[in-house]
Amino acid sequence: MADASAARTTAELTPAEQAVIRPPLVLNKRTYGWIGNYVSSIVEDKTPIWWWICLLPCVLLTAVLGFCITYLISTGVGVWGNNHPVGWAWDITNFVFWIGIGHAGTLISAILFLTRQKWRTSINRAAEAMTLFAVICAAIYPGLHVGRVWMAWFLAPVPNANGIWQNFRSPLLWDVFAVSTYFTVSVLFWYTGLIPDLATLRDRATTKIKKFFYGTLALGWRGGNRQWRHYEMAYLLLAGLSTPLVLSVHSVVSFDFATSVIPGWHTTIFPPYFVAGAIFGGFAMVLTIMIPACAIYKPLHDLVTVSHVDKMCKVILFTGSIVGYAYIMELFMAWYSANPYERAAFWYRAFGPFWWAYWSMMFCNVIAPQIFWFKYFRTHLVWVWIICQFPNAGMWYERFVIIATTLSRDFLPSAWAQFHPTWVDIWMFIGTFGLFGTLFLLFIRFLPMICMFEVKAVLPEADPHHGEKH
Amino acid sequence: MSDHAPAEPKPEFFDYKHVGGRFLGLVGLAAVAFVAVLVGAVLDPKQFAFSYLFAFFFFLTICMGGLFWTLVHHAVDAEWSVVVRRQMENLASLLVVMAVLFIPLFFVREELWKWMRPENAHDPLLLEKAAYLNLPFFTFRVIFYFAFFILCGGLLRAFSIAQDRDGSPRYTILNRRVTFASALLFAVCLTFAAVDWLMGLDYHWFSTMWGVYIFAGTALSSMCVLVLIITALRSAGYLQNVVTVEHYHIMGKLMMAFTIFWAYIGFSQYMLIWYANIPEETVYFLRRNTGTWWYGSQFMVVGHFFVPFLMLLFQRGKKTPLFLCGMASWILLMHMLDMYIIVMPAYHKAGFDLSAFLFDIPCLIAIGCTLAAVFLKRLGESALYPVRDPRLPQSLALKN
Repeated sequence: MADASAARTTAELTPAEQAVIRPPLVLNKRTYGWIGNYVSSIVEDKTPIWWWICLLPCVLLTAVLGFCITYLISTGVGVWGNNHPVGWAWDITNFVFWIGIGHAGTLISAILFLTRQKWRTSINRAAEAMTLFAVICAAIYPGLHVGRVWMAWFLAPVPNANGIWQNFRSPLLWDVFAVSTYFTVSVLFWYTGLIPDLATLRDRATTKIKKFFYGTLALGWRGGNRQWRHYEMAYLLLAGLSTPLVLSVHSVVSFDFATSVIPGWHTTIFPPYFVAGAIFGGFAMVLTIMIPACAIYKPLHDLVTVSHVDKMCKVILFTGSIVGYAYIMELFMAWYSANPYERAAFWYRAFGPFWWAYWSMMFCNVIAPQIFWFKYFRTHLVWVWIICQFPNAGMWYERFVIIATTLSRDFLPSAWAQFHPTWVDIWMFIGTFGLFGTLFLLFIRFLPMICMFEVKAVLPEADPHHGEKH
Repeated sequence: MSDHAPAEPKPEFFDYKHVGGRFLGLVGLAAVAFVAVLVGAVLDPKQFAFSYLFAFFFFLTICMGGLFWTLVHHAVDAEWSVVVRRQMENLASLLVVMAVLFIPLFFVREELWKWMRPENAHDPLLLEKAAYLNLPFFTFRVIFYFAFFILCGGLLRAFSIAQDRDGSPRYTILNRRVTFASALLFAVCLTFAAVDWLMGLDYHWFSTMWGVYIFAGTALSSMCVLVLIITALRSAGYLQNVVTVEHYHIMGKLMMAFTIFWAYIGFSQYMLIWYANIPEETVYFLRRNTGTWWYGSQFMVVGHFFVPFLMLLFQRGKKTPLFLCGMASWILLMHMLDMYIIVMPAYHKAGFDLSAFLFDIPCLIAIGCTLAAVFLKRLGESALYPVRDPRLPQSLALKN
């Protein structure tokens, strides 16, 4: 069949034959030179107006975040809406939300690398950057939630003057280790992958300042055979190290809840369910950012093709279905356990005062992504972008439902209380989007958002046997 | 992808002269074992029930795994697995045999699933769960699971074999559609089969992770069986220019990945239950940590995770068929132990009971030989690999 179809033009093939043809990873026969020139030009050209227009609100929101943090530190965490029994509320919701966003980057860069998925090459750089920025946003919340921020260094297990040690049996401490390891390895992985491209920018630099800046960051990269060998080994090792981290970080985050004896929190499926949810939300955020970025830099559609978007939508559909499976299992087991408290916890989620959050979560995470079963919605970018907002919102609702709804219905009805966010809660959350946006805009402006050398390696001419006839 | 694709190999068909009298031997052995099982069932129905369930579920996981990997192949439009897919399909086609082999369990259901016994009918916990745990619904579910497994596996295999004749990519698309229609149902059927037949051994106990845990063992054990089947075929002279060391490498990597996944799921389930220390949950692990079960459970941590993890970590091992077969056999033994420790402590509370082996071994032989005999029949029914799959050239030229 392959030979027969090769002899005919694409138009002559049957629909089934067309459907099994793999689309090229880079469209319009773009060359090495074009890729290097175009991706570098995004960094090298004069700063476009749209960039300033986008940066301004982001910086303003970041300033609002800074103000809220200052106000909170100077006043106390009481400025949040947390109360008894809702001791964890938007703060931890936002922490888990942002940590989850980061997962797509590591999945794309590490797991898809180990599984030899070449389509990752044009999206990994931006996704990894997003990982770092999301973890930075996430880290703000538990850092502040400790109450006395100036004592936050107690989180690290360093002997201090009072001889106080951390509780190593607490999943909250495991979280400190998990998140800090994740961040460290993600930075290393991202930076290692950047080095050859930084050297490209250094070599193309037209001013001394740029040459110094990129030259310093490129760590003396010359692209020799030895350097490439070392680079590839380092990258492979970092991919190997990052892969368990994709699983471990959100698993440990889920332990924060699941190790407790609180109905609705203590359930054994939490670790893989949290990981799947994180990848789900992370991919939605990657598309949320990449689709506008490619719309601005239109030629990037030749690198981040519709086929790439299609694949990412499939990952969203798959992980969204896993999340749906977990929701159903939770509901079923809550009922099957015949434990009245377990049943009540889920009843309150669905029909209690926060019912709207629960059903928003169900709709956004389970129902809405099912539209990706249809190819039309996976391949039309405006639709993709719109549908991706459902997982984005849904994953926030999920954490809110798990945390606030569960806590607001304590064991004793006399202790029940509602949670209402204060303006500090709301503006801090909005502010982190400002921080995230600011960092991402800076990234686009100063670093190559597409991994040039890896995309070049997936071009047909990168194959040593390209063009040979047999 | 390199243009150096090897010349398309000729279709290979299984020749019975390679098995000779062994086919009859398997049938004979299965028949003898079934007689022994029958005698055992009369003498000690309860022990028979547990031993048979253990052996049944062990083999069921392998067959369900065959279906799982076929589904994965179509869902992700894989290239590497084209050359081994027919054997996955053949494994999945054994689910029809498993459906027949379920019948004995139905006769001893009250020995196994205590909720079915009249004396427990007034248990308040059971009354709360009666909407799910009742015989008509249970029977319906059994029929539903197997109907789904047989239909799904049958369709995928039939389309695949049909493609051998005319090479039309239409069958690839058809199989993809079957996959998309079945993927969610597969998860549901596997999960609730595990809930009904294994978790249901103690109907008080529950764990949301249970389905995922059984799935992890399913995917792992079937990949191990696939490695063994492919190697057996190669050593009989088949698939010589078709399956290469690169395919072994990928199968080895998947064995390693699912070894880790099994450990991750197993650890998460155990750790969360241990940490929270709620009696209604810990009862499961307390029993499995009591008496000599404790040694079995501890051994599984080392044998089911650390040993294969360390052994499969290095590339050379994964590229050495003989070594990989050794690891596959080892993991299968560990999977068997896993199933044993799930099933048997529900009956023998104090620990391993040596006399139970008299029942376990004939059950394993009876079901195993029956499946092996049917599998040999299946081998001869079609080409040993999908000879005209559109992705075959890429699969043959695999480099990773």
